[in-house]
Amino acid sequence: MTSIIVARALAPAFHRSLKQLIKKGSIRQLQNFAKTLQVVPQYRQKRFYAEKQVFERTKPHCNVGTIGHVDHGKTTLTAAITKVLSEQKLALARLYQDIDNAPEEKARGITINVAHIEYQTENRHYGHTDCPGHADYIKNMITGAAQMDGAIMVVAATDGVMPQTREHLLLAKQIGVTHLVVFINKVDAADKEMVELVEMEIRELLTEMGFDGDNIPIVSGSALCALEGKNPEIGSEAILKLLAEVDSYIPTPVRELDKPFLLPVENTYSIPGRGTVVTGRLERGVLKKGADCEIVGYNKVLKTVVTGVEMFHKILEEAQAGDQLGALIRGLKRDDVKRGMVLAKPGTVKSQDHIESQVYVLSKEEGGRTKPFTSFIQLQMFCRTWDCAVQVIVADKEMVMPGEDSRLELRMMRPMVLEEGQRFTLRDGSQTLGTGVVTKTLARLTPEEREAISEGKKAREKKLQAAK
Amino acid sequence: MQVLTKTIWRFFHSSGTNLAVEKSLLATLRKKTGYTFSNCKKALEMHNNDLNHAETWLKQQAQALGWSKATKLEGRQTMQGLVGVAVRDDEGVLVEVNCETDFVARNKEFQKIVEDAAMSCLNFIKSQRKSQDTITKICLDAEQLKSLKTLDGKSLADQLAMMIGIVGENATLKRALCLKAGNGVQLSGYAHPSGNSNNNILMGRLGGLLAYRVIEPTENATEVSKGLCQHIVGMDPKKIGSSTDEPSKNKDDEKCLIHQDYLLDESVTVKDLLSESKLEIVDFKRFECGESSHAVGDQPLEYVETCQ
Repeated sequence: MTSIIVARALAPAFHRSLKQLIKKGSIRQLQNFAKTLQVVPQYRQKRFYAEKQVFERTKPHCNVGTIGHVDHGKTTLTAAITKVLSEQKLALARLYQDIDNAPEEKARGITINVAHIEYQTENRHYGHTDCPGHADYIKNMITGAAQMDGAIMVVAATDGVMPQTREHLLLAKQIGVTHLVVFINKVDAADKEMVELVEMEIRELLTEMGFDGDNIPIVSGSALCALEGKNPEIGSEAILKLLAEVDSYIPTPVRELDKPFLLPVENTYSIPGRGTVVTGRLERGVLKKGADCEIVGYNKVLKTVVTGVEMFHKILEEAQAGDQLGALIRGLKRDDVKRGMVLAKPGTVKSQDHIESQVYVLSKEEGGRTKPFTSFIQLQMFCRTWDCAVQVIVADKEMVMPGEDSRLELRMMRPMVLEEGQRFTLRDGSQTLGTGVVTKTLARLTPEEREAISEGKKAREKKLQAAK
Repeated sequence: MQVLTKTIWRFFHSSGTNLAVEKSLLATLRKKTGYTFSNCKKALEMHNNDLNHAETWLKQQAQALGWSKATKLEGRQTMQGLVGVAVRDDEGVLVEVNCETDFVARNKEFQKIVEDAAMSCLNFIKSQRKSQDTITKICLDAEQLKSLKTLDGKSLADQLAMMIGIVGENATLKRALCLKAGNGVQLSGYAHPSGNSNNNILMGRLGGLLAYRVIEPTENATEVSKGLCQHIVGMDPKKIGSSTDEPSKNKDDEKCLIHQDYLLDESVTVKDLLSESKLEIVDFKRFECGESSHAVGDQPLEYVETCQ
């Protein structure tokens, strides 16, 4: 009975509100409401990670990796490092099997076979990468999952330098590792003379391959002894010595915060009475009010001054890397600055339109193309906040298959801000084709060369014929 | 007393180093032969530091050492490697050799084995009688490949074991396909990536062999056949297809060679290209490195290629 009364009393109100909703055509409102519903609980959700520890950022971070022959004890060494450090409560001891059977990882949609291990010494915090093959290291570099700042090369004293050690060093060069520390493993199965000879041989090879062979630190020991807790002088002590060398020889990478500031422009607004505001996420460095800056891109270099920095409608004394901010700039119109340009410290960035890059082309399973492509294909390059049409020239091969990494030369329709180590994506229409990293900037294109980019196949062939 | 023990100890120690292999000798031997340090040392110890004797002994033992290493590493999975493609006159060969890491596949020692295997297969197919058919196709499995003889009279298995001994990584001779063409049929080969070729042997992760017939000679027939071979390697068609085959609705899923868009010029299909350049495709074969490596050890039946 009461329920009927309540229902009757409420019915008109319910009708009214329903009518209102429909009449005002406020489907958008409804959508908005639904969105809030979706979003809000996420923030309100409390998660209880009982077992998760809080990462404390007290030491500088550095990424290293191991390279070497399959049987020379890369994995044993990695396991030994975690074991020795775990005794000092600086790492979690990892078993050989755990590292060896690392599951395939997906970074930026690319499957990589890689093991990531974390440990720290007294001075630094380390991310340690171990991959089984050349292609995996390249993919690791391209996706930037853990860019290696240095590497530990493992060589067994019993075998010495192997024919493929040369290939390992070539890889290190290719992925931009210049700082190496060598560990001569398995000294328990060799004698002193052999270890000395192996060391000589390694130094010779390092110099031959263009590394600083005379000064690269070489530590000898036995990872197995360290793992089993035997013979501390070649076991755990050698591991600690190796880590001390890694600490001192491999330089700490410059933090994003310490680099000169750079802000990719996402949007520009004109605020009456105040001027032009550019917004974006500060990629690196610290941006202060009153800083001189340059806005570069689309063939233009504009000099100006940042007269104010705002975040969340509040004035900021200085913005740090990672902040989403708006910067008020002096003396420029809104139309002068476009999305895709870069606001940076004067003289620190340059426009490029001709680069060499290392690209991983997604396989069909990863959502890439099914067909291979050849030189002169036209693609769209996406980087930071800009995109641009590029012509691809395949340098070493006749075609590039999906699932392969390759060195590609890219010629861009117009110069944009690019630097070595910059990551980008290549797309073909609506399909992502691959991810890459800039390895080298080449000489700017001449006007004729730029014109040639948009030429069709017929025109290219004609030119070739004429040249003959 | 203490001094005495010390002197005695020193005596023992120094005599110990005397017994050990002379450092410079070990270094020279290693440099000269390239065998592992432990083997060089063993050789010197056995021959009282006589360099020449040790070297000859090492060379004699290399085969046995290789074999012992090979048996030790047997059973480890080999997923990487190279496909070798060789075409000589009217004989063509596709051969796949696997190893554990792609580092080794980039090494000269390994590439030499692929080269040897391809040459042995070429000689093998040469020795076969020409049959009545247009092409003779012989598939070789791992066991048959192992027993083939190389140019210097050794078996391929021996050569492989030597390489394993040097490189220290498992490697397997996977499979080979030998073609002999007759009756106006010509062959063309392609390997991708096409960077390395020794002695006219192409090596890559992928390889393809194409048998075609020239209906009417045109000047760019060889060029087109090479392009077609590249197309086969790149596009992975499953069959040639005949006039009864319907083109598939989705262009990307087209597995029938003649209906595919030509790789080097997307505006024409392979069918158009063939009629334009007056060629006819008789047969083709494509090898992808590691495509049938799911099997560890002996191949299960479904992976064994049967001969037609």
